[in-house]
Amino acid sequence: MVQNRGKLMELFIGNISNAIIHSILEKAIANRGIADWYRKEQINSFDIAKRYREKINPVKTSLSVKDGRYIKDKIIRRVKGELLIRIEKGYENIDLASVEIETEGVLRAIGVID
Amino acid sequence: MDQIYIPKNRVGLGVGDYVEIKPIGANLQDEERERKLYFYKIKYLEPIKLDIINRVIEIIDEEIKNDNIIIAGSFLDKGFEFADLDIVVLCNANIDDKHIDEVLEKKIGIKTHVVIINNSALIVGLSSDPLYQMMLSKCVAKNRFIYRIKKKIDYKILDLHLLKSKVLMQNYDVLNGREKYYFTRNMVAIYLFLHSKRIDREKVEKEIKDIFNLNDIDGIRLNMLDKESFLKRYKEIYNKTFDKIMENIKDGAK
Repeated sequence: MVQNRGKLMELFIGNISNAIIHSILEKAIANRGIADWYRKEQINSFDIAKRYREKINPVKTSLSVKDGRYIKDKIIRRVKGELLIRIEKGYENIDLASVEIETEGVLRAIGVID
Repeated sequence: MDQIYIPKNRVGLGVGDYVEIKPIGANLQDEERERKLYFYKIKYLEPIKLDIINRVIEIIDEEIKNDNIIIAGSFLDKGFEFADLDIVVLCNANIDDKHIDEVLEKKIGIKTHVVIINNSALIVGLSSDPLYQMMLSKCVAKNRFIYRIKKKIDYKILDLHLLKSKVLMQNYDVLNGREKYYFTRNMVAIYLFLHSKRIDREKVEKEIKDIFNLNDIDGIRLNMLDKESFLKRYKEIYNKTFDKIMENIKDGAK
C-alpha cells in the first residue's frame, strides 16, 4: 500500500509515542517482582515505528531539522498528554521530566535527529 | 491384526501406526529415552513435536540446573504454523536466557523464546498477569506443577500490557493477521481478567469470537476481517478496558 510522507510521519509519531509511554510507565512500576516475559515479544510499537522510518526519506541520514523538530514536539505533546491522563487518575511515580530526554534518545537511535 | 491401546501423546507414535510389541527389557535403551512429560489441557500433540520437546528438555538440562521446564504457546496448537517455541525455565540461578535461545536454535534449528524465572516470580506473574495465566493454561511440563494462586489485580501492570494493543488501532493496515490476533488476544485477556474470569486460551478465543461476531478465530489470523466493523468494536472494548483500569489505578493492587 502506497502511503504519502505526511501519513507515514503521523504513523511513525503514533508508534514512537506509544513506545516512549511504555518505557516511562515501565520505569514507574519497576521492582514489582514481575518477570520479564514481554520484553522479548517480537511485535512492539518501537519495531513498527522502525518499519515506518524505513519508508520516510531520507532513509540513510537524519531528517531535516524542520521535520525533526516537528516530530519531536508532536511526540512530546502526545506522550505528556497520555501520561497526564494517568497522573490525574492518581497514578504515582510517573517521571514527566524524562519525556524530553527519552524522546531525544529514541529519535537519535532511530535516525530521525542527529 | 491385534490392537493395543496406549495413552495419547507418546513419543514417536501416531494414531494408526503399526508397532512391534516386545517383552520388557528387550529394548531398554529406547524406553529410557522416553521421558515422562506432564500435559495440561492438551488433547493431541504430533509425535514429532514430542520428539522436539524431549530434545529441548535434554539440551536445557545439559546447560542449566533447573526445577522445571514448561513448553507453551502456539507450538502446542495443531499443525505447524507456530512462530517460535515458548519455553519457561524455572531456575533460581541468574542465567542469560539469550544464551539458551542461541544454544537451542543452533542445536534444533527452531527459533525459541526462553524465559528463565524463579518460582516466586512465576507465582507473582500467575496471580497478577492474565497473559501468564493464559500462556500456562495449556502447556507441557517436565515436572508436574500445581499452583493455587490468589488473584491479585495490579492495574498499573494491566495498563502497561493494554498499551501494547493500542498498536492495532493505529496500524490496522500494516499489521498481518498473526499480529492482529496477538493484539486482540492481549486486549481480550485483560478484559476478561478485569471481569474476574478465569483465563485460558479457549476462553479468550471464545470471547473474541463473541465480541467480534466471528465464526472462526482464524478469520483474524488469516486477516479476513471487515475492517470497519472490527475496528469499531475493537475501539469500544479497548476504551472500556482502559476506563476500567483508570478507575482503579489509584488503588493500585487489589
